[in-house]
Amino acid sequence: MKCQQQQLLLAPQTNLMHKTKLKSIYLSLLVAFICLLLPWSGFALKLRPDFVLLVIIFWILRAPNRCNIGTAWFIGLWVDLATGGVFGQHALAYTVTTFVAVIYQRRLVLFSNSQQLVYVLLLLVISQLTLLTVKTFEGSESLGWAYFLPSITGVILWQIAVALGLNTSRPSRSK
Amino acid sequence: MAGYHQNLDQQQAPAFFARGPSPLARLAFFTALSLALMATDSRLQYLSSMREHLMVVLQPLQLIANAPSMFYESTNEYFSTHHRLLSENQLLRKQALTQAIPLQKMKALELENSNLRQLLDANQSLEEFSQLGEILHVGRDPFTKKIVVNRGSVHHVMDGAAVVDAKGVIGQVTRTYPVSSEVTLITDKSLTIPIQIERNGLRAIAFGHGRDNTLDLPFLPANVDIKPGDKLITSGIDGIYPKGLAVATVTDIQTTQDSPFARIVCVPTGGIENHKQVLLVSISPTGSTIKPDISNNPSKPSTSSQQPINTSANNAKPKATSSGVMNESNQLKKITNEVPATTVAPSTPNKPHAQD
Repeated sequence: MKCQQQQLLLAPQTNLMHKTKLKSIYLSLLVAFICLLLPWSGFALKLRPDFVLLVIIFWILRAPNRCNIGTAWFIGLWVDLATGGVFGQHALAYTVTTFVAVIYQRRLVLFSNSQQLVYVLLLLVISQLTLLTVKTFEGSESLGWAYFLPSITGVILWQIAVALGLNTSRPSRSK
Repeated sequence: MAGYHQNLDQQQAPAFFARGPSPLARLAFFTALSLALMATDSRLQYLSSMREHLMVVLQPLQLIANAPSMFYESTNEYFSTHHRLLSENQLLRKQALTQAIPLQKMKALELENSNLRQLLDANQSLEEFSQLGEILHVGRDPFTKKIVVNRGSVHHVMDGAAVVDAKGVIGQVTRTYPVSSEVTLITDKSLTIPIQIERNGLRAIAFGHGRDNTLDLPFLPANVDIKPGDKLITSGIDGIYPKGLAVATVTDIQTTQDSPFARIVCVPTGGIENHKQVLLVSISPTGSTIKPDISNNPSKPSTSSQQPINTSANNAKPKATSSGVMNESNQLKKITNEVPATTVAPSTPNKPHAQD
């Protein structure tokens, strides 16, 4: 309740960008997390895009005042829990990725969709590279180039989402 | 917060730029936090109990995520054809029939073995408990070969239990949660398993290869007596895996002039990627206190293997027959203690049968 009141008070000032509710952010993150928990196996596992990171990037671009590096770090911990790896590796990867996204956020929303697509690909690759570094320190073996397939599928998913009407570029005109 | 923003009204600065600490500060803070977490988790044991508790929170989400595939499978089963069920039934009947004879022999052999061991004053072989688990999902990390099964510490699954399917060993429990446990497959790079060549009894250690579902037998000399087609079985000297389970088959041996070691590639016998049910086998020395509850065990070789000892002993001593289950188990212990005196005679008729 308190949070909602605060939101109402802040409404005229902070919502220069979007009227985004925290609830929708958390709900979408939850759905992405459940997508991660789906029983993927075999080749589908190798193709599985990083749903959670995609949703985080989306909200960072759309509502940076609501979803920030801290959110990404926290969700990263849950992803670590679900994947059963060492605590903190996804959290670190998400932190680094969202940092890059946050720095360029204001420029990014002015990009066209195709330009944004390239940028999202870059972000996904950054996340995977961070993870790869951590894994290499841990002593895991390399997976070859197939390791970067989730970035490609992630971008495809992003494109599908944009085609379905989710838009992050030029927020003033999207409403 | 609200007051801060009301002040902002007078200063013309739009709240658009009011974002709290700078991204760089946040990056530094959260990176340090994650690095600290990683170090703690990989070097110290503080976080393992926290992980168990958090997994309980994750359980309902896991159920939701598993629901679609569960639903698909159950409807698929419901609509399975009459013909398919019939053929499957026939196959299972045949299997049961062909396995019945070796199984009967096995019981006699086990009895004989325990008698001989007692005569020789040798240590009793280890007792095994097994319970049926169902694979919930494959591990989510593409770097590791893991599966998650639906039995956990609530069901007395312990770290280190061997995981077996109908054809052979598939892995080992490496982490237990309350109602699920994580199994590392034998093809994972971090898992090793002590084996024995079935043909000549040569002992070695098999390492998971990691990438292409194979096992390696490293550090064996180039002139080692191993041929393609040799079967690897567990040697049982580790006290983790029961002795004599099928592990893998040798498929390829390469020797080069410049290396003193042979490169031996083996393929696991167990269907690592195409089974739904697995057996979790844990060994505990006889007389151990931990016994899994029977209600959860559809198949339990340990009790069935004890059966012949009981019956033959009862034949030898009619006084020992009793009705209560508790009494029976007590007497079982008593009887096995005095086995050399009483059951040598009933086991002798089995001998010619067992030897062939």
